[in-house]
Amino acid sequence: MNDFSNALSVSASGLKAQAQRLSHVSENIANADTPGYRRKVVAFETELHGLRATGEVATGPVRLDRSDLSRIYEPGHPLADATGHYEGSNVDLMIEIADAREAQRSYEANLKMFDQARQMSSRLMELLRR
Amino acid sequence: MFENLDIFRMSHAMATHAGNRQALVAQNMANADTPGYAARDLSPFQEVYRSDDAPHLPRATRPGHLFGQGQTAAFEPHLVSGAQSDPNGNSVSIETEMLRAVDVKRQHDRAIAIYRSSLTVLRTALGRG
Repeated sequence: MNDFSNALSVSASGLKAQAQRLSHVSENIANADTPGYRRKVVAFETELHGLRATGEVATGPVRLDRSDLSRIYEPGHPLADATGHYEGSNVDLMIEIADAREAQRSYEANLKMFDQARQMSSRLMELLRR
Repeated sequence: MFENLDIFRMSHAMATHAGNRQALVAQNMANADTPGYAARDLSPFQEVYRSDDAPHLPRATRPGHLFGQGQTAAFEPHLVSGAQSDPNGNSVSIETEMLRAVDVKRQHDRAIAIYRSSLTVLRTALGRG
């Protein structure tokens, strides 16, 4: 029984981590046209309880992508400098979509594991019934 | 009383093994994107159970006997060797884990079916089947 509750909590932590990743991806996509916006990235790390790794996953601190901002030529823009350029965001929509797909797949896999652990434990409980 | 019947003991061990393995598969899945994480797995039940119960090996009959090795009921996880790892050092493959999960589910169902049918036999013997 302990194994099942452990499996359930680990799967739940995976779901939570992927959901957080997806929310940062949607933030990035929403701000793809915001001048000066740097895309946010999160890394995953194994969660520690005290010094012991429980196998649960957690998202690390949010970091900003340090790559160069894109320079867009638009002389009439309020933020444009003397050469007529202004700094856009460094969000690449292609990368964000790929990241979102990966997060979705991992989310589905975790959900499947959660469901399976639940099914197995309920099958075990059915033994008590006649 | 049920622990003394061999078939109950075996199906119990089988279900426990499936449960342990399910926990590991869930852990691997959850860490499918964690950098530097290595996939873990248990040995198949057939190997573990045989090595524990082989007739030619000495068996520990009480705690402390044979350095207490008869008491290692928990199955030991090991790192999966030979798995290809991603550039970030993660060696979990979701497809393999899915296959493993199906395997675990079938083993667990099988163990419960064995337990249930033995229970029915027992009930019939008691005359209340």
